[in-house]
This record gives sequence, structure tokens and C-alpha cells, in this order.
Amino acid sequence: MLRLLSFLLTVLVMLPLGQHAQAFDLGTDRLRVSGFGTLGLTWGGKKDYGLQKEFIHDPQFGGVSILTDSVFGLQVDFNIAKNLDATIQAVAEDRIRQDFNNIVDWAYLSYKPTANSVIRAGRMGVDLFMLTEYRNVGYAYLWTHPVIEFYKPISLSHYEGFDFRYSRRIKPGYFEFKVFGGQTGSDIDVGSGELNLRMRPFVGFNTSLEDNDWKIRLTYTTTNTAFIKAPADPLVNALNRVPQALWPQAAALHDRLKGVDTQTHYFSAGFSYDKHNWVIQSEFALITSRWVSIDMTNGYLSAGKRIGPVTLYTVGSYARSNSQPRVDQNQIASADLQGLAIATQNLLNAVHIDQNTVSLGMRWDFHPRAALKMQWDHTWTRKHGGGLLELNKPLDHDITLNTFSANLNFIF
Amino acid sequence: MRLLFILTALIILLPHHALADIVVIVNPRSSITALTHHQIIDIYMGRNPGLADDKKLQPYDQALDSTIRSEFYYGITGKPASAINAYWARLLFTGRASPPKSVADDSAILDIIEKNPMAIGYLDRRYLNDQVTVVYTIKRQDQKEPDAELQNTQLSDTLPVTEKP
Repeated sequence: MLRLLSFLLTVLVMLPLGQHAQAFDLGTDRLRVSGFGTLGLTWGGKKDYGLQKEFIHDPQFGGVSILTDSVFGLQVDFNIAKNLDATIQAVAEDRIRQDFNNIVDWAYLSYKPTANSVIRAGRMGVDLFMLTEYRNVGYAYLWTHPVIEFYKPISLSHYEGFDFRYSRRIKPGYFEFKVFGGQTGSDIDVGSGELNLRMRPFVGFNTSLEDNDWKIRLTYTTTNTAFIKAPADPLVNALNRVPQALWPQAAALHDRLKGVDTQTHYFSAGFSYDKHNWVIQSEFALITSRWVSIDMTNGYLSAGKRIGPVTLYTVGSYARSNSQPRVDQNQIASADLQGLAIATQNLLNAVHIDQNTVSLGMRWDFHPRAALKMQWDHTWTRKHGGGLLELNKPLDHDITLNTFSANLNFIF
Repeated sequence: MRLLFILTALIILLPHHALADIVVIVNPRSSITALTHHQIIDIYMGRNPGLADDKKLQPYDQALDSTIRSEFYYGITGKPASAINAYWARLLFTGRASPPKSVADDSAILDIIEKNPMAIGYLDRRYLNDQVTVVYTIKRQDQKEPDAELQNTQLSDTLPVTEKP
């Protein structure tokens, strides 16, 4: 209830500015206020296995929630001088920490030195995958929510730094190359408490080629986890203190669980196609890291067909951890360490990911600025593969989950 | 008899009136006299059309819910207005570009193009006058109910276009 109130309060603070969006837009060419929103209802989760579409959200253990998909955003673009612009975007949504620093999603200056290039500096949206920059703008994509197996592991929303983008039309299509660098972080809800993450340097590039009907996109990003504060810290620190002679494997397990000072690499390839009223999109990613929680492979394929103002679609997605370290009981020389060993194995099981989802849904564009969407997700999560769920108890058997979501998406 | 029935049905179903083409227009003071299909797409889809600095154009759109806007975007991209609107939401809310400014109707487009040498717009050919230059033409197929056709996107995948007036 407290989180619902804080969400509503944030929306109320932003609404007066939103009401004037059209007036500002019409009043001057230099200032533009625009916004987006999603009002959603979600039925999902089970008593012991919580649904969480993004790590910043409160998990949902059954019942109906208005918070899971609802979001409200405002964006102000201001032309300061020729080729120099400023942009601020504020987003109200359910999050573990509802403070000014998290609500201001973007605040940056952009400068166009040439017609083909743009340099930006400040706080900007993380541009890892096709939807990461606009995952909050439900109106801009087909589904009721970004594919959980693919987008939930990316808990990063924005970064502080710079980017440089170059684009031009070449023979096969419109080419774009972007390089970026800076630092990022997030404050997320991992069920047992709050996890604070700071990553720097955060650097990468992406490149895309698109024409009227198709787009291909490749990305690479690498970052180092500079700071982490997590509920599992006491356990991880205890592993680090175990003498090598008593449990030789403890150091290696500590290395896979600690997170801090760990380099992570993100590789991804995406493809979209929109012709003859068929809408197809697919992305695959490989995330490699010594930190076992985010060392994974994931992907999805979405296909939809427009029939008048309605688009019917289906999505198939998966996420799997790249490795599954296990506690080797034979290496433990002291009975006093059994409790720590069990807790370590439970943690390894809890962060392991092995999950698939098939979704069916529809989008109805009933207004030029609004769309109604409905979606059913059927999820299979394997035993000890619930790293994308919030677990109240160990997942010691395979489970299936059904999630229904209906939402109204609008822009203004 | 069967042939007669088919011919009668075809006559009944034939369009009762023809719609004028959509023309893309600029101010005569602009040094641009013609644009390619790709350039029109780039200008109206928030990309750099590769024009020289002295030929930069500022696009103007018709009303968001107007038939001519739907037909214009369908003519250049083969996509319904809903897909174009979602596309522009992606560009706007990733900070890449702002959508073209919308005006009320054909006469408002004419008014802007006549006054602004950097403006580019589109309108129904019937409202064309000699104060503007046509740089691209989108041929409309004859259709009885263009709105319904567009909503159901039963038109040919890409309307035939000509690159010069």
C-alpha cells in the first residue's frame, strides 16, 4: 500500500506539468513537453513464487496488482541554441526507492556538430538492447510489457556519461553507429531486501542497419561492478573468510557470488521485420560474467499480424544461466561449515535461471495516441531455475506460472 | 449468364469517384525541385536525408487523425498510421527526434509552405496552387472508402509512386 501511495504521489506531482504539454508544444518551437503512460492490471505470481517484471518492482505473490505494469513519464525538450538541445525525462513507477535521483531518468545536453552526428552528455537511457531505452513507453512497443526473460536481467535504466552517434544512409539502408561510456547503477528489490549496484566504467557500442521494412542491430557493452550492497553479503563475506584447508572450494564459490570487482560483457543481436502487416522481432544475448547471478544466455522471438487496428501476436522466450556451480560436499573438511555450505547451495539455487515463457496477446490501436493491450504468459520454471522469480522458499520442483495483463497505453 | 452476373457485380463494386494524388510540396524559393522516395522517407521518419545545409527542410504533418496523413504514410512506407505513431513514440522518447509539427488541414499546409522557404508538406493535389513546387507525388488508388480500406490495410503493399511531378 505504501508503494502504491508513493507511486500515486509521484504521478500527482508530475501531472500539472503534463496537463500543459499540448499548450507548450503549440506555443513555441523551442520547448516541447510530452509524456507517456501505462495504466495496467496484472494477475500473476503464486503464494511462494513471486512475479517480478523488473527488479525495481515489488514482487507480486498472486492476486491483482496495478503497480506491476503502471508507469507515467514526462519529457521536456528544450532547444537552447542552434544544434544544442537539453532533455529531461522523469518517470513515476513502482520502485524500491522513490527518490529524486531515481525519478529523473534522463537529464542531458545534446549537440549536433554535423547533420550526421550527435554528441550527448549527462544522464541518458541505457541502450543495451532494442527496447532498453524506451521500455517504459508501452505505447511504443507491441507487448503489454518487455519480454521478462530478456529484459528483466537488465536492471539498469540510465547511466551518467556521454555518447556519440553517427548515422547516414548507405546503399543497403540507414546505418547507425553509437559509442558510449560512463557509469551506471540501480537500486533493486531482490525479495530478501534491497540490492544497491554501482557499475563503472560502463562502455560499449551498438550498430544498426535498417530500411523501411527491417532492422538489424548488434551491441557490445562491458562494465565492472564497482560496488554492491546486497542481502547476501554476510554469507558471501563468510565464504571469503573460510580457511583454504577446511574448504578449498570456498574461495571459488566466493568469486562466483561476490559480484564486486567483476567484469561483465553483454553481446546481443536483434532483428525486426514489418511488412505485409506481419510484425516480427527477435533478439538474442550472451551475458558473460564471473558473477553467477548475471552469467546467462537469453532470447526471444515475437511474431504478430495486424488485422485492421488490432495486432494479434505470440512470443516465445527463454533465459538460462551459463553455468551452475554447486557445493562439493566432499571438499568440506569441517562439520562446522555444513550450515554455511547449505546456505551457499541455497543461494546458488536461488540465483540460477532456467525459464521459458510463451505468450499470446493482442494490441488494439483504438486512438492515434492510445492503445489497449492484453496478454497471457505461460511460464515454465525448472527446479532450482527461479532466478527471475522472487522465491519465498527454495524452488525444489518444476513449476508453471500464468500471468494475465491488460493495460491502457497512451502518449501525449 | 454467369459472366453477366460477374460483370454486373464488378460494375457495382467499381469506385464511384477517384481521389486526387497526394503531392509533396516546398516553397519555390527552395533550391530543391525533386526528392527521391528514400529522401521523403528519411525526412518524415526523423532521419537525415543527406541534403546540403542550404537545402535543409522542416517537415510539416497533417492532423494526427486525418485520412490524408494515414494515406501519406501508407504511400511512402506501406505501414498503417498506428505503426507510424508507435515509431515516432520510439524516436521521441529515446531523444532521437521530434515528430513533424502538425497543422490542421491542406490550406494550413499551403499557407506555411508559401511563407517558409525551408518548409516541406503534403496535401491533396486538388488544393495545389502555383505558389508552391511539387517535389514528389504519391498516386492514390481509386477507392470507394479510403478510411475503411486503410484501417483494414487491404491496399497494395506500396502505392505506386513517381519521383518527379
